[in-house]
Amino acid sequence: MNVTIPKTDHELGSTSVVLLGLIVLLGLAILTGALTVSYATYLIALSGMYVLLALGLNVQWGYGGIINFAVVAFWGLGAYVAALATARTSPLGLEWHPLFALVVAIIFSVIAAILVGLPAIRLRADYLAIATLGFSEIFRLLVANETHITAGMAGLAGIPSVLEDLPFDTVTTNLLVVAVAGALVFLFLRRIHRSPWGRVMQIIKADEDLAESLGKNAFSFKMQTFVLGCVIMTIAGVYYAHFIGYVDPTDLDPLETFFVWVAVILGGSGSNRGAVVGAFILVAVLEGTRFLTDFSIFAALSTGPLRLLIVGVLIVLIMRFKPEGLYPPRDELIWPKSQTDTEGQS
Amino acid sequence: MTVLDIDQVDSGYGDLQILHDVSMHLEEDEIVCIIGPNGAGKSTAIKTIFGLVQPWTGAITLRGTEISGQMPEDIVRQGISYVPQTDNVFSTLTVEENLEIGGVTVSDESTEMIEKLYDRFPILEEKRSKKARTLSGGQRQILAFSRALMVDPDVLLIDEPSAGLAPSLVQDVFENVKQINSLGTSVLMVEQNARAGLNISDRGYVLAQGQVKYEDDAQAILENPEIGELYLGG
Amino acid sequence: MSVIQLAVDGIVYGSIIVLGAVGLSLVYSIGDFPNFAHGDLMVAGAYGGLVANLGLTQIGLQPTSVFSPELLVTIVAGLAIGIVVAVATHYLVFKPLDSGPIALLITSFGVALIYRSLIWMGFGSSARSYNFPRSGPIGSIRDATGLAVTNRMLVIVLATAVVVTTLHFVLQYSMLGKKMRAAADNGDLARISGIRPRETVLTMWVGGGALAAMGGVFLGLHTLIRPLMGFDILLLIFAAVILGGIGSIYGAMLGGFAIGLAHEMTPVIPGVGSEYGAAVAFVIMIIILLVRPGGILGEETT
Repeated sequence: MNVTIPKTDHELGSTSVVLLGLIVLLGLAILTGALTVSYATYLIALSGMYVLLALGLNVQWGYGGIINFAVVAFWGLGAYVAALATARTSPLGLEWHPLFALVVAIIFSVIAAILVGLPAIRLRADYLAIATLGFSEIFRLLVANETHITAGMAGLAGIPSVLEDLPFDTVTTNLLVVAVAGALVFLFLRRIHRSPWGRVMQIIKADEDLAESLGKNAFSFKMQTFVLGCVIMTIAGVYYAHFIGYVDPTDLDPLETFFVWVAVILGGSGSNRGAVVGAFILVAVLEGTRFLTDFSIFAALSTGPLRLLIVGVLIVLIMRFKPEGLYPPRDELIWPKSQTDTEGQS
Repeated sequence: MTVLDIDQVDSGYGDLQILHDVSMHLEEDEIVCIIGPNGAGKSTAIKTIFGLVQPWTGAITLRGTEISGQMPEDIVRQGISYVPQTDNVFSTLTVEENLEIGGVTVSDESTEMIEKLYDRFPILEEKRSKKARTLSGGQRQILAFSRALMVDPDVLLIDEPSAGLAPSLVQDVFENVKQINSLGTSVLMVEQNARAGLNISDRGYVLAQGQVKYEDDAQAILENPEIGELYLGG
Repeated sequence: MSVIQLAVDGIVYGSIIVLGAVGLSLVYSIGDFPNFAHGDLMVAGAYGGLVANLGLTQIGLQPTSVFSPELLVTIVAGLAIGIVVAVATHYLVFKPLDSGPIALLITSFGVALIYRSLIWMGFGSSARSYNFPRSGPIGSIRDATGLAVTNRMLVIVLATAVVVTTLHFVLQYSMLGKKMRAAADNGDLARISGIRPRETVLTMWVGGGALAAMGGVFLGLHTLIRPLMGFDILLLIFAAVILGGIGSIYGAMLGGFAIGLAHEMTPVIPGVGSEYGAAVAFVIMIIILLVRPGGILGEETT
């Protein structure tokens, strides 16, 4: 088998061009007064959170070929554990230190991922999609109705902001934390993807029977990717709770799951830098629709449906015309052919 | 006269080429058997003829009419029928419904044909309102053949008729193939059980690595010591 | 509330789920993918019915009861919209995609968002209702049995019974029905036998769209018409399809009633309130997926 060395410089080059472009746009928007600084930093922090979510899903879908339609539930698990453990208004009245809550959230996430994954990972792809969506909805209903634990529809306010102990203002801390978390996760994922573990994962995704015949326990490897992805989503949720300071059950709308899916397939399934770019574009689309209604032709429309329409059209168009996404993974071991096919692009 | 002619065909799945420059032909009233090791492309050859796998290059003609590039649902309308190796009956449909679906392209003569098949295979009439999934392996194979015979084909393609059957039933299956042939249908079949397949055949092809390695009268292949060692299990 | 009353409510809600589930099951087995846009297709049908219903009111026709020609017009208009939307989506989106089940699945979610947003844009986000008088429980039934059954409930259950029975005869005895069952059972063998996929796939979308629309109109009749109600019922319909066994039309009928009953009868379980109706249905669905993915009426998967 032919192992090709990814062209790291080139990869990072095109990714940074896109990100730089978005940042320049953002800068221009601030300068022209279209955006305030605080809104702009909010956008970047929000993008950082979606980067984490997209990276988490990319581990599962891109590396492992596992369909997970419960992204919002694992994210919500993080947000709710953080909120319940640290918020002043929490019915549990714990008021823990956020870092301690983070550790607890990760433990819960691992347990939940194992409980969901153990029976479900073996399912056929379409069944897994439906089962995880069902699980996600059960979680949402529990959070909405077990009011004595979760405060129900009233939601939880008064969640302390991220790492208040750091000597920066809240906005800077928010950006710093998500940038560091995103970078760490990104580097970690890139490292494991190129490790022997990552190679086995690629073989499993391409041909599970082949992997089994090579003596690799595909199920165990898939479980590991599933748990890893869920933990990353949970971390994103913990971050969100501290960043926004308020959570309620409407945050658990399954629609969020599909937003993350859009980021991953738009970026290119299996590609981490694709997930990063996809997440930024997603936030640009979600938040950009706010401004579209300023234009007269869209004036009559409200933001909500317009956003749904754009996301829906985006999904249909990507799947039809560019199913491999903007940044198809190029460091493949298995398909030398696809390697040469994508050579000319990006 | 040649009823089916396969001329220099390449085909495969996606980017993966399976058949390389395969040429074969089937004469009127013949039984021809394709043998070869696992993964040689035997099933792919039959699927390519029937349009389930599209040929990349080459031509396939049925009585002089080109059928390559057509879809299976169109090919079956031209007097050729196909019995797949697995999933060859509609398991949730009754025996009679299976036959009706088999005759979907010849609906005018459907009832008459069903009666004929009931005469030939009384077990089908006995089980006519039973779901196909309740049939035994041998009965299921008879139903699979009968479904394909509903169009009264000139040419019948059969993929591994004896696969998965109890050894005691294998001979019955080959008897059926002979009987079908004697009633005026030319048969092209793929068979893993090479000796048994060749025994009832007029001619044979040896396929390996997607290429025709050898072709001859069935008897000659059976007696060829080299082929015997390589492909007939010594 | 009495257990029997809950069961009656379950049969009404189950009827709506049955109509959705049969269509979804058809598409799942013949089109070979789980169509996540099916819930929103139902909503499209519900709004199609609403347009006709409001139109009738505009020209001065005021139905005195739900048993009226106006209801028939409402349903037929809903069906027409459901069929047009389903068939148009097939030709514009699914057919040109020409890809595997997973790509279709993800695409169908995009389609769901498109339906939902267009309906939302066109009709606003507030709940609407059909212009039929809301009458209380039918007196004679209440006196005789103590059960609250409204005219609307009766319409929904009776109409569903008629549709399901008709469908049974079509599937069982017509050649088209047999072809549909053959294509659902084994698509490749159906083609080998000479059944044109064009015919079965088109019939599947017409049938699936019509049944979905009818379910949508009845959902609107039973409760209110909201642009976002499609997703709420979608997973219940999946639960019904999976419970009955994908591809088994009769399974979808049985599964639909079972899920409807489970949804409404949840309060019978000690300590669980009606707010968990959907959750109980999803738990049933997940258990079935794990222990018997072929469904209770389906074949064991091989």
